[in-house]
Amino acid sequence: MISQFFVLSQRGDNIVFRDYRGEVQKGSAEIFFRKVKFWKGDEGEDAPPVFNADGVNYVHVKVAGLLFVATTRVNVSPSLVLELLQRIARVIKDYLGVLNEDSLRKNFVLVYELLDEVIDFGYPQTTSTEVLKSYIFNEPIEVEAARLPPLGPAAMFMQGTKRMPGTAVTKSVVANEPGGRKREEIFVDIIEKISVTFSSSGYILTSEIDGTIQMKSYLTGNPEIRLALNEDLIIGRNGSSVYDYRNSAGAGAVILDDCNFHESVHLDNFDLDRTLMLVPTDGEFSVMNYRMTQEFKPPFRVNALIEEAGSLKAEVILKIRADFAPSITANTISVHMPLPKYTTRVSFEFEPGAIVGGSETYSAGKAHIFTGVTCQYHERSWTCEHDLHNSNVQCFKASGKVLANSKEIQDIQSIPSTNAKGSLSGIQMASQNTYDSKPM
Amino acid sequence: MAGTKRGSENLPCEVSPGPPIEYKDKRKDAVKKVIAAMTVGKDVSSLFTDVVNCMQTENLELKKLVYLYLINYAKSQPDLAILAVNTFVKDSQDPNPLIRALAVRTMGCIRVDKITEYLCDPLQRCLKDDDPYVRKTASICVAKLYDINAELVEDRGFLDALKDLISDNNPMVVANAVAALAEIQENSSRPIFEITSNTLTKLLTALNECTEWGQVFILDALSKYKAADAREAENIVERVTPRLQHANCAVVLSAVKMILLQMELITSTDVVRNLCKKMAPPLVTLLSAEPEIQYVALRNINLIVQRRPTILAHEIKVFFCKYNDPIYVKMEKLEIMIKLASDRNIDQVLLEFKEYATEVDVDFVRKAVRAIGRCAIKLERAAERCISVLLELIKIKVNYVVQEAIIVIKDIFRRYPNTYESIIATLCESLDTLDEPEAKASMIWIIGEYAERIDNADELLESFLESFPEEPALVQLQLLTATVKLFLKKPTEGPQQMIQVVLNNATVETDNPDLRDRAYIYWRLLSTDPEAAKDVVLAEKPVISDDSNQLDPSLLDELLANIATLASVYHKPPDAFVTRVKTAVQRPDDEEYPDGSESGYSDMPANAVDSAAAPSSSSNVPHAATRQAAPAPPAPAAPVPDLLGDLIGLDGAIVPVDQPATPSGPPLPIVLPASTGQGLQICAQLTRRDGQIFYSMLFENNSQIPLDGFMIQFNKNTLGLAAAGPLQVPQLQPGASATTLLPMVSFQNISPGPPSTLLQVAVKNNQQPVWYFNDKISLQVFFAEDGRMERADFLETWKSLPDSNEIAKDLQSVVINSVDVTVDRLAASNVFFIAKRKNMNQEVLYLSAKAPRGIPFLIELTGVVGIAGVKCAIKTRNPEMAPLFFEAMEALLK
Repeated sequence: MISQFFVLSQRGDNIVFRDYRGEVQKGSAEIFFRKVKFWKGDEGEDAPPVFNADGVNYVHVKVAGLLFVATTRVNVSPSLVLELLQRIARVIKDYLGVLNEDSLRKNFVLVYELLDEVIDFGYPQTTSTEVLKSYIFNEPIEVEAARLPPLGPAAMFMQGTKRMPGTAVTKSVVANEPGGRKREEIFVDIIEKISVTFSSSGYILTSEIDGTIQMKSYLTGNPEIRLALNEDLIIGRNGSSVYDYRNSAGAGAVILDDCNFHESVHLDNFDLDRTLMLVPTDGEFSVMNYRMTQEFKPPFRVNALIEEAGSLKAEVILKIRADFAPSITANTISVHMPLPKYTTRVSFEFEPGAIVGGSETYSAGKAHIFTGVTCQYHERSWTCEHDLHNSNVQCFKASGKVLANSKEIQDIQSIPSTNAKGSLSGIQMASQNTYDSKPM
Repeated sequence: MAGTKRGSENLPCEVSPGPPIEYKDKRKDAVKKVIAAMTVGKDVSSLFTDVVNCMQTENLELKKLVYLYLINYAKSQPDLAILAVNTFVKDSQDPNPLIRALAVRTMGCIRVDKITEYLCDPLQRCLKDDDPYVRKTASICVAKLYDINAELVEDRGFLDALKDLISDNNPMVVANAVAALAEIQENSSRPIFEITSNTLTKLLTALNECTEWGQVFILDALSKYKAADAREAENIVERVTPRLQHANCAVVLSAVKMILLQMELITSTDVVRNLCKKMAPPLVTLLSAEPEIQYVALRNINLIVQRRPTILAHEIKVFFCKYNDPIYVKMEKLEIMIKLASDRNIDQVLLEFKEYATEVDVDFVRKAVRAIGRCAIKLERAAERCISVLLELIKIKVNYVVQEAIIVIKDIFRRYPNTYESIIATLCESLDTLDEPEAKASMIWIIGEYAERIDNADELLESFLESFPEEPALVQLQLLTATVKLFLKKPTEGPQQMIQVVLNNATVETDNPDLRDRAYIYWRLLSTDPEAAKDVVLAEKPVISDDSNQLDPSLLDELLANIATLASVYHKPPDAFVTRVKTAVQRPDDEEYPDGSESGYSDMPANAVDSAAAPSSSSNVPHAATRQAAPAPPAPAAPVPDLLGDLIGLDGAIVPVDQPATPSGPPLPIVLPASTGQGLQICAQLTRRDGQIFYSMLFENNSQIPLDGFMIQFNKNTLGLAAAGPLQVPQLQPGASATTLLPMVSFQNISPGPPSTLLQVAVKNNQQPVWYFNDKISLQVFFAEDGRMERADFLETWKSLPDSNEIAKDLQSVVINSVDVTVDRLAASNVFFIAKRKNMNQEVLYLSAKAPRGIPFLIELTGVVGIAGVKCAIKTRNPEMAPLFFEAMEALLK
């Protein structure tokens, strides 16, 4: 089982270090960091999340710019360790409100107390914030939430960073409000990562939605919550290729390829009326994860055209069209375009009339055209046809309304059950979409 | 402070001898500061006494801090740590369950003998505590104690207590007990934790209720269970399948492992098909998780599709790379795409590959190009399409793409000879851009192989010859062979001059033994019989198949049994990387090999021999194997030492069996010391396990080179012992070791003459000469489990045998200290006790054993307890075995 657990900063500083079994030498953190920093395998320069060096197995994940690492000498289940590392990060965030180097250092006593309860002799015990509450006695020292990393594009593009907007959620789940009054709130987010590949002629080649319903509860008295999903929800495709759009069952029905649920969810009525019942535990958790490849109308269409303008220059025309109802607006859109390494200069301009000004509001129904992302190169070894593999459009919406871009989230409602002691003061929905367009 | 209040509610208020309340917070802050200093690596052990003084507090927060300190420093201050024992023992009886658990948990973490002594009683109590939190902490503590002092755990009956906890009504306790037992079993050679159908039921029930982590412990433990029949397997699978729906990837993967293992037993194809269908969506869902988990999932899927390609046959699209996947995920996806590519989806796949081949990441691009070539080799009907994609890529003229394409095209030529040679002209256009050895060598091979179709082959080769001395060995070897081919195909003046230059360069001016040897062989061949040279050099080559990154079936089996573990991520068997601290220390220092340059290349000649016959893999294998394949002259390299040929050729039964290495008991005797074996050390001994005879062997490679291709042969011997299967030893890297259990059969090749215990063994590998060593046959491994005789039988047999069949010997050095112990020990080796009587002060024991071929041995042991010297008399139909028998008895009684 796990021998040591440690958290390293980006510079390799030891922020937290806990040895559970004493079978791996003390310098392992340093050895690990050097290995990762100067990784040179036969396959790329990124260290894989699991590797072995001198008989010690290192398993690591990156969370919020920190490296969460576990070492072991035995043949453990790596997915267990990886999941555990993610959970530890989440539990710590639940307790501290903010997860960064500063908050960890300020709260190291609490973090060690947590680690002692979460792992015993290398075996994970519990990672439920709710359960941990009865064993943890230290109180978090609040860290200024103002210095939150901005919700910039970089954060959005990191897979798995499914964070919520606003400062409300940077609050620790255990700390009380000043004045002793607890806020009766629950946050339910539906976060969908939509991956769509467009052909150069604008057709959709592949489309996929990875969705998760996240919940963070600050309700007292553990009321039971019911979450009703579309009644015509179908789970699992029967036979046939996943991508065979022609056979998609009756219009209107939402077909999920697969889904899974948090362990606190009771599925007694799920088959009957698609209702999830749960008593939300403290802390942030995903109620349900789902995956679908059913045909849907993507909220954006992306079209890219590449022209060679001279021997060392190429011009890219990128058209992005918002394809959703006019009542909805999308904020914080950013477009990400990978370019060859030897690109020396990039300039871009907007077509007159385009509303996009970098990260402004994007309203529906209009086509916006970025013209001429002009690239210049050192040498002419770069050819047109393989240029713009991917452009990336991202939409982030936190307007309090459900973004109606795919059917199954339309009807999701949160119904507080009658025995809830508090009232629901704020239900927040967010939708996060990532686009992936490939001109072919 | 709500928490603190809650914690202290149950405490009697006035026990605290601690300081007045106003000091408490100061104390806490002080200890916090100490801990802070400790965590940044400062040595604060000098404060030990002061910190330990704070231990007696009812404030849990402070107590935890002190405990944290203790765990860190108790080892360095063992004498002072004793001060804490009293408080620990008291805390373990505290009314607050949190404190009881905390005390036991912390004591288990302190690896100081004196504290461990005091741990037993509290632990015993806590294992039976009313509170499940205490019980679950205590069960893990047993594993801790086992790690410190295994004997203590066994003596104090903790193992039984732990086994009782499997039936506990709290699933958390069950899960921890299972985890602890599984760990103890792993470190013990005795069977401790065996899952019966009874425990199976209990654990499957607990599975539904425990935490996600507990589910993983239980699933992993259950994966060791072998279902009795298909029906049981189906039942298990039915109970486990709902776990596939779990949000925790570890649970899903462990469940997949369970199902895959049980599927082997299920005979109904419908059920299997159904299961495959059920497993696909959860496996695909794993790819929506964090990239780190995706990586682990992909490595596992790679194994699964090799065994059951149907599971994901329709899902190839989910393995298409996303532009923002980390490189390690992309590489694995590519690998799986190749495995899933079929005639049906190849067009789609090729489009993707082509896209990847124009990405920015060089390593990824290279792999994508190779992937196209591997698809061409794998799918005959798609080969043409693959080649046209490759040609398109070559036209882009990006240097590394071209080089990579040439390397794979060479493999395609080998796979489909005389089919696509029309593209050679296009390849030759890029000749001068080649700067990587592998690409160069591939191009040269193509020129040599098709010299008769390339008009200016001699010019092309000549352009390479100028830089011959500077080229890497790989290119030199290819140049040499290609020039010889050219000469044999076009024996004109130009090539003749070239060959002179090359042979001169390769024999006189090189210090590479491989190059030199090959050049001499060609030279001699050409000068003695050019026709023979033609037969050898231009011989028909066997067609290759795409076997790169394809795992050996036995390794695949082992890895599939280890799905969801690190082994499945590394694609290495667990014993290849799991090194316990104790063994890791023993690693011998690198022995300086006398001739460094020699050893560096020494795997090459061996490969040359083998690869001439074996199909060469197409890519991603060390260059040597691939590039050597074509030109290797099989004839001259063939001579293998005669004796080995004789030995190995005896029965030729060389088929792989998978015999997982089992944990060894006492160290095996060394039969071939490293000094004799050029760094290879072999320890071996005959053992009997489960009624079968094995040759338990340990190989240690202390040389500088990896050793592989191990084979073993036994010379004729008295009992006709021979290997029942081939030796199963993986490639041994320098410094690595491997154990194996070789199943043996007896009475295969019996040597005539008087019985002898001599066992002559020959071991060979691909890199070294044949090693011979002598071992001893111990007759006791032959004693059969069913050798017990009834008293009456014994008497009758004894009487029926003539007295001439009775042989006696005094075993001088043997002492019987206790009759019972001796009888037990003998029984463990299948020598069974029948009766005993006392004659004066002597003890007389009657025993029986069943020797090979079912011949009973009747034994009479006479001796005085405590005094050396035992008389052993036997009566048997087969008295010539007596000397061997006495030797065995002596060994058993010692």
